[in-house]
Amino acid sequence: MSDHNDSKLVAKNGTLLGWFDKRYPLVSTWNVHVGEYYAPKNFNFWYFFGSLALIVLVNQIVTGIWLTMSYKPSAAEAFASVEYIMRDVEWGWLIRYMHSTGASAFFLVVYLHMMRGMLYGSYKEPRELVWLIGMMLFLLLMAEAFMGYLLPWGQMSYWGAQVIISLFGAIPLIGPDLALWVRGDFVISDVTLNRFFALHVIALPLVLVVLVFMHIVALHQVGSNNPDGVEIKKYKNDRGLPMDGIPFHPYYSVKDSMGAVFFMLLFAIVMFYAPEGGGYFIEAPNFEPANPLKTPDHIAPVWYFTPFYAILRAIPDKFLGVVAMGGAIAVLFAMPWLDRCKVKSIRYRGLSFKILLTILVVSFVILGWLGTQPATPELTKLAQIFTALYFMFFLILPFTSVNEKTKPVPERVT
Amino acid sequence: MKKLLIICSLFLLPLSLSAQAGGGYGITLEHANNDLRDQASLQRGAVLFSNYCMACHSIKYIRYNRIARNIGWSDDEIMEKMAYGQGRVVDDVETRMLPDIAKGVFGTEPPDLSLMSRLKGEDYIYTFLRAYHETEDGTWDNTVLKGTAMPNVLEGIKRHSTEEEYEQAARDITNFLSYVGEPSKLDRLDLGWKVIAFLLLMLLLTYLLKREYWKDIKH
Repeated sequence: MSDHNDSKLVAKNGTLLGWFDKRYPLVSTWNVHVGEYYAPKNFNFWYFFGSLALIVLVNQIVTGIWLTMSYKPSAAEAFASVEYIMRDVEWGWLIRYMHSTGASAFFLVVYLHMMRGMLYGSYKEPRELVWLIGMMLFLLLMAEAFMGYLLPWGQMSYWGAQVIISLFGAIPLIGPDLALWVRGDFVISDVTLNRFFALHVIALPLVLVVLVFMHIVALHQVGSNNPDGVEIKKYKNDRGLPMDGIPFHPYYSVKDSMGAVFFMLLFAIVMFYAPEGGGYFIEAPNFEPANPLKTPDHIAPVWYFTPFYAILRAIPDKFLGVVAMGGAIAVLFAMPWLDRCKVKSIRYRGLSFKILLTILVVSFVILGWLGTQPATPELTKLAQIFTALYFMFFLILPFTSVNEKTKPVPERVT
Repeated sequence: MKKLLIICSLFLLPLSLSAQAGGGYGITLEHANNDLRDQASLQRGAVLFSNYCMACHSIKYIRYNRIARNIGWSDDEIMEKMAYGQGRVVDDVETRMLPDIAKGVFGTEPPDLSLMSRLKGEDYIYTFLRAYHETEDGTWDNTVLKGTAMPNVLEGIKRHSTEEEYEQAARDITNFLSYVGEPSKLDRLDLGWKVIAFLLLMLLLTYLLKREYWKDIKH
């Protein structure tokens, strides 16, 4: 595979690149992360979502900067300023729809990215830290989305935030004071909007970008997993390069470019022809300004929060509901240690894992649907069943995964 | 202004503060079948809106000159046909009702209608406008929004025109409000397919590029 090594960058003396490289580790950084980063050659469809998440992040940051130029973070002006962006700002409608569609696309891509990790055991040794940083990113992304959703100051913005912040109040002893501290007021108000704006546009994006950087550095330290779940570093050629690896650039840079264009195509179809996402991306009640005196008939969070919202509502006790909702996310952090099977990829794992993972995914999707529906007694019963099934995955997995009947794993990628 | 107030007062109805439309409206909504590209309909809708709605309602998130530009009028035309020479062409389209008066007359603030088409949908507006009926005690009510404080403003049109003309008037107002809900919608629809066509071309090129680079990789 010697012909694959032509992407290595060399800085010659007397060139501009040479001048820079003496003063900054430009060439070595490029080579470590791009030109000489050897990725398994057998990546499939599931491996597009990491680079797509990065693209959506850039989209959110760039469109976010332009939105900030015309948005007014005050209770009196926020709603009108969004309409100003939609109507009077040149291309404002496009920028706003790119941002609002981007929020939903972000979660779609990240959920699929996490699904990939589950399918091929990408959280397992030696990639535990990649998974943990990724889970922190997921948690931060939820906070980022939640705070961003308050900014348009529509009815659903307001009451959604009201519901979620009141959850803090359910914590024994410190709850009410904690909720007060988060809001900065006794109700969601101008103060809350201002601080959410600060967190949404500065604090959280900064941490997100740093963590994304760490996520990639950690990944490149241990190397990418692949659909076969075998380590490509095990078999190296005479030049010390993985025999089943290919340099990220140009092979995956061109492949991911194709994936990115295909993703943008789907994104454009939604953004131009269904920007409200059937009421799931932009909820209709949000076209009415926030009114603290008028509670909407049915408060539903945006689709990407609904699985967790359904778990919250399934538990009759408010505090225990909060614990269950938090636990549903927290338990994902523990995946590297809950799954004790040595075989990584689902291709070679036993039936028990395949059944369990199917139950988890089905439960998650059904809970997601339940979270969009009003809580009738029948649906609550259903939510309780699927909440139990969701947690069952994490409870049973440590026991079934030890003695799993696995298939033989190939030595090299297939 | 006083005349309008008196006219509005004539339609005084039993007021209800709890009037709130939920998910179900109790009746099936009729299809508005409006067409945003029908400029004549939008122009008629603008005139009807000015005559029958602006006495109480505003559409304050849009300006006269923006409407004129989009529905095929000059600045002078819109000032004559919609604003009756009042105000400036760059003004937001405000209600003609004086502040605080509505609360006294109707017991509630008539909502701004800029985003009504996005909040409730076109079919809702179309059905609502035509859903007034006489009650047993001789007053009006609306099957879509029971106990609404809004009078049956289109009654005059219903009485003095054919059923088709009456339906068309409701459709024109709906069409106009649909336009006001998202004035850039046609720009969006017209730009979208060009972007998609460009991306399809890019997809082909990136696919060919990928194939070229990957042809020596056995996988």
